[in-house]
Amino acid sequence: MQVERDEIYGIAGESSSGKTSFIKVLAAAIRPPLRVVGGSVEYNFAGQRIDSTKASEAEIKAIRWRHLSYIMQGSMSVLNPVRRIEKTFGDFARSPLGLDCRAFRERIEEHLDHLKLPKSVLRAYPHELSGGMRQRVTIGLATVCRPEFMIADEPTTALDVVVQKDVLSLLRNVQKEMGASIVFVTHDMSVHANIADRIGIIYAGRLVEEGPTRTLFTEPKHPYTAHLVASLPVIGDTRPRPSLEGRPPSLADPPQGCRFHPRCPLAIDRCKREVPPLETVGTRHRSACWRAQEVEPLVRPEATVAGAGA
Amino acid sequence: MRAYLIFALKRLLQLAVVVFAGVSAAFVVAHFSPISPIETIIGRVAGQSSFSPTAVESLRQTLTELFGYDQPLTQQYLNFWSRFVRGDLGPSLIAFPTPAMELVMRALPWTVGLLTVAIIMAWLLGNILGGLAGYYQNNRPLKAFGIVAIGIQPIPYYIIAFLLVIIFGYLWPVLPISGGFAMAVRPAWSFDFIFSVLHHAILPALSLVLAGIGTWFLGMRALVSNIVTEDYVTYAELGGVNRGTIVMGYVTRNALIPQLTALAMALGGIFSGTIITEQVFSYPGLGTLLIRAVNGGDTGLVLAVSCVSVIAVASAIFIIDLLHPLLDPRVKVG
Repeated sequence: MQVERDEIYGIAGESSSGKTSFIKVLAAAIRPPLRVVGGSVEYNFAGQRIDSTKASEAEIKAIRWRHLSYIMQGSMSVLNPVRRIEKTFGDFARSPLGLDCRAFRERIEEHLDHLKLPKSVLRAYPHELSGGMRQRVTIGLATVCRPEFMIADEPTTALDVVVQKDVLSLLRNVQKEMGASIVFVTHDMSVHANIADRIGIIYAGRLVEEGPTRTLFTEPKHPYTAHLVASLPVIGDTRPRPSLEGRPPSLADPPQGCRFHPRCPLAIDRCKREVPPLETVGTRHRSACWRAQEVEPLVRPEATVAGAGA
Repeated sequence: MRAYLIFALKRLLQLAVVVFAGVSAAFVVAHFSPISPIETIIGRVAGQSSFSPTAVESLRQTLTELFGYDQPLTQQYLNFWSRFVRGDLGPSLIAFPTPAMELVMRALPWTVGLLTVAIIMAWLLGNILGGLAGYYQNNRPLKAFGIVAIGIQPIPYYIIAFLLVIIFGYLWPVLPISGGFAMAVRPAWSFDFIFSVLHHAILPALSLVLAGIGTWFLGMRALVSNIVTEDYVTYAELGGVNRGTIVMGYVTRNALIPQLTALAMALGGIFSGTIITEQVFSYPGLGTLLIRAVNGGDTGLVLAVSCVSVIAVASAIFIIDLLHPLLDPRVKVG
């Protein structure tokens, strides 16, 4: 897959479908016992190309935070409990920014102000902040060096919808201003609908469909996506939703052929033998399904409206 | 800062209560002990020559007045406190008429010096090595040390002391195995004396360090290997934070909090813990003094040793309590 400049690319999939492993590869955060067996991740930062799967520890360190930053899952535990926020900012951003003490301090205060955080946050310890504030602090931490590429792993999980909306619009604004790219991971399709420009759907460790957000929601071309989209609740619509039987397969022993075939209502014999390639099915829209052209949305938007009216 | 002062005052009050209760308990135990210092003295004196019964009786009366045993118990208790705050706990028996407090004060520097050095060394070494072993889990020498630590940790400290005496006193006699300093050296602030003291302290200190280091090592290793998987450590690694900062500011700093509490708890058991060590090495500290006092039926001296240890342990814990909020911001003061 390819992520363009100034784009938010959403990655969706069930729990244990390999979302986090995938972005760990992107962030060069794979630690033993995990290892990368194949493939490559190429970044182009200001004309300088780097492959995060092959680069040395020092090369990776040189791009971290300057070009590539990361917002980690679970904002509650990503801040060191015994360190004041200002010190944490110093640890992460001081050397990439290369500013002297006072200029650095001004820069951080300005940045926090931008994120609607009071200056007093800097003197605080993480436990003295609310969940929403902590999440904003981590976003501040990830954006203060104005990196070109950010990886966000479920940044809004565990926040209530109001705070979630705040955090999302904040992330969106920061991204627009800086013209940065974000790879955004969550299993929450409504969050994707809100924020992503394009979405990639991962099933059992493979990208099964990719396309612009609107297209994916209205014309999914993979049966799995169709089910995922159909699972979204709509106010006033009380019809039961079609659900998928079974569980995602074990990644240690995935099924032959298309990994989705044991659960797929459209599966044919071919699906059991041959792995479908990711093929273009529309504008910037790709799907890995032998019967992509036959996939229909499971819940028609018009029907939804009619159902609501009835 | 104000909140911290209030917190410190509260802890100080707590210290006073603990010392009061501890010293009172020591008084009660000493008073109800079946060994009477008066009878011990009379037995000792009367055993040496034949006295008339009237002479023994008047000796008993004099001694009863001297120790104040003719007064009611509450009065004795009040007298005890009024003398205690002036640092007077009556004469000792085993070295009559030297005041018990003087004997204790003579022994105290030896025990405190030995213990402070040994405990701090064991704590520091155990925590540093344990921290490294938790962080660098594949390091072979540290792994080997872990196995040794597991082996040493359950051995009682007096067995270690005896082993050291056998090894360094008989099999390979390179270190002095008894006393606080060499007989030939005069106690003074001279190089010879200080050298002799340090030389004699090596084995007792080593036995205490060996007995303590395993526990600290294993505790710290477990703490650190948990903390390195914490999100904030992973995140700092992803953020390209300097390795040194991660090890010190993120990992060690968080692991030290429970270890400091454990140190305070370990200090509680320390005076009782050295009694046998001092005995094995004939070290002129409080432990040796206490055993001599018990054997000599010297209740006053036992009381003096107990009171001083109560104060010393309570004060050590008080100091660590004061450090705790400085180390862990989540401990709310005020």
